[in-house]
Amino acid sequence: MMLEIKNLYAGVDDKQILKGINLAIMPGEMHTIMGRNGSGKSTLANVITGREGYAVIKGDILFNGESILDWSPEDRALTGIFMSFQYPVVIPGVNNTYFLKAALNAKRKHKDEKELDAADFLKLIKSKLAEMDMDANYLQRGVNEGFSGGEKKRNEILQMLTLEPALSVLDETDSGLDIDALKIVAEGVNKYRSPKRSFLVITHYQRLLNYIEPDFVHVLIDGQIVKSGGKDLAVDLEEKGYSWLGA
Amino acid sequence: MSLSHFQTEFDKMMNRDYFLDAVHPMRKEAFSKFLNSGLPTNKWEDWRFTNLSKLKQKKYRISETQDAPAGDVDLSSFEIDGVDTVVIYNGHYQEALSSVPSGIQLLSGIEYLERKNWEFETAERSPFDLLNTAFMDCGMSFIVDPNINVETPVRILFISNGEDNIMANPRMYLDVGDSAAVTFIEHHVGNAASFFQNASFFASVGVNASLDHIRIQSNSTSTQNMANLDVQQETDSRYTFTQFADGSELGRTNVYVHLNGKGANCELNGLALSNGKQHFDNHIIIDHKVPHCTSSQLFKSVLREKSSGVFNGRTIVQKNAQKTDAKQSNKNLLLSKDALMNSNPQLEILADDVRCTHGSTTGELDFDSLFYLRSRGLDLARAKSLLVRGFATECFDTIQDKKIKSFIMQRFDNWLN
Repeated sequence: MMLEIKNLYAGVDDKQILKGINLAIMPGEMHTIMGRNGSGKSTLANVITGREGYAVIKGDILFNGESILDWSPEDRALTGIFMSFQYPVVIPGVNNTYFLKAALNAKRKHKDEKELDAADFLKLIKSKLAEMDMDANYLQRGVNEGFSGGEKKRNEILQMLTLEPALSVLDETDSGLDIDALKIVAEGVNKYRSPKRSFLVITHYQRLLNYIEPDFVHVLIDGQIVKSGGKDLAVDLEEKGYSWLGA
Repeated sequence: MSLSHFQTEFDKMMNRDYFLDAVHPMRKEAFSKFLNSGLPTNKWEDWRFTNLSKLKQKKYRISETQDAPAGDVDLSSFEIDGVDTVVIYNGHYQEALSSVPSGIQLLSGIEYLERKNWEFETAERSPFDLLNTAFMDCGMSFIVDPNINVETPVRILFISNGEDNIMANPRMYLDVGDSAAVTFIEHHVGNAASFFQNASFFASVGVNASLDHIRIQSNSTSTQNMANLDVQQETDSRYTFTQFADGSELGRTNVYVHLNGKGANCELNGLALSNGKQHFDNHIIIDHKVPHCTSSQLFKSVLREKSSGVFNGRTIVQKNAQKTDAKQSNKNLLLSKDALMNSNPQLEILADDVRCTHGSTTGELDFDSLFYLRSRGLDLARAKSLLVRGFATECFDTIQDKKIKSFIMQRFDNWLN
């Protein structure tokens, strides 16, 4: 099992948000979490990636069989967990190339692989840029500096393709994307799918699921998974909304 | 250092036969004014946040011949590629270690004063100006003739070494002739156990001339360092000042730029990196005296531990200096709860058709940015240094020379790690 979430209760600032989540993701699987605003979707993503300020009250998260609750965000990342942020931060002055090369080499070092030099990295990143239909002037810019909403999301997927995580948590990656950008992002994700890689896709809308096909859909209401099913569940939700599930 | 101790040292100074008698009257005059004012206290408006108690407690003596190096000096750790270097060691010019690029005339202080018929810029804005005039020792003057583009940057390397409490009062003149251009570096280094340096620098930038001035303050953390800069700019001249400070226990930089000719442009940038109890203070004045000049100030500080800093920037726009375009920005990053910054950007605008902006921010590293970098696998220390690097590097945009820039970036990275 790649990711196992066991009876997870978590919250922020004394406020309990997740109330007993159980979820198991096998290698190669794509799971989707759907739910309204405030249902706890983003909290789940942040707890998995280890953001400070989120407290786990009860339960456990296992990654490849090991509990990761005490791990720092960087250790989770180095072991293979990646999050595409709902709101990627802008970091002026920190150059994309410099940052991504440092991140990739930190990961390679962790895996006892040889670090890439500037020339090799440039070659690699240029091929990824082409895949995401992004301009090469990206390399000289600050992290997300002056990027449109769509460019920021593409940059998230570009980083995923470069860092090659085993588990990708995509937090509302489809929000703020026009249809062209959505297709490019979905294509990036689809190409990245493999029997060894898993996804947890968090979304409001069924729209993204027209382009990427989940194996499982889970509905999150008030911090609990109230229903799980196949991709047809997403279609039902689109038609009927959430109220028929008792919310 | 008490006034009576300054008096003792001054008497020693006056009895030295190798200092020209002709300079004595101006030394005496400056010294008597200094005695009247005394050293600044925190009650003085310009010195409210800078404490000189260390300087006042110690007894410094003027540098003696035996303070010059006996043999060779190893300069390898101060190497910057592609520059010519003039070495001053504990206040003594080291001719054998020095080279000056073609296009520059190097004169002694006295030669310069004589050439100028004793009509030269001096300053009396602070007691340290007066102290420098009274005690000026290693006078150096650089002259770039009109229309000369000096391609190799010239550096003055100030080395302060040794165990004794020494004071040095270097005085430099740099005259850049009309339509001439030069890059000038002041590089302050050394491992002195106790040093008081009070350096004065007078630059004049002629019509359509260009001066890039870089100041690297990396001397020992037990140095008390005063820098007094006075810059006169003529029509259509260009001046950039870039300061990188990671050394000294106390560093105070006073810059006064006079924009005397229309169309003159100056850009002043500074980055101060402080640790322990270091204290860096920048007092900047830019005086727009005539119309159509532009100026900018960008000063940043990164403060760790119990260090502290001051930014006091004043842009003056005189009554007839219409169409002035002036910017002033001070940004500070506090990496510790005990660090302290005092920021005071000021505009004094007497003209009505001008564009002036100023701003100041002081804060901590952004939590969300830190998490973002860590979520990509960078450890906390690395993520922090990446953010600090990102915060500060724009300060070096004024440096054109790639080798100088990379030397400074290297030092910056060393500080970060």
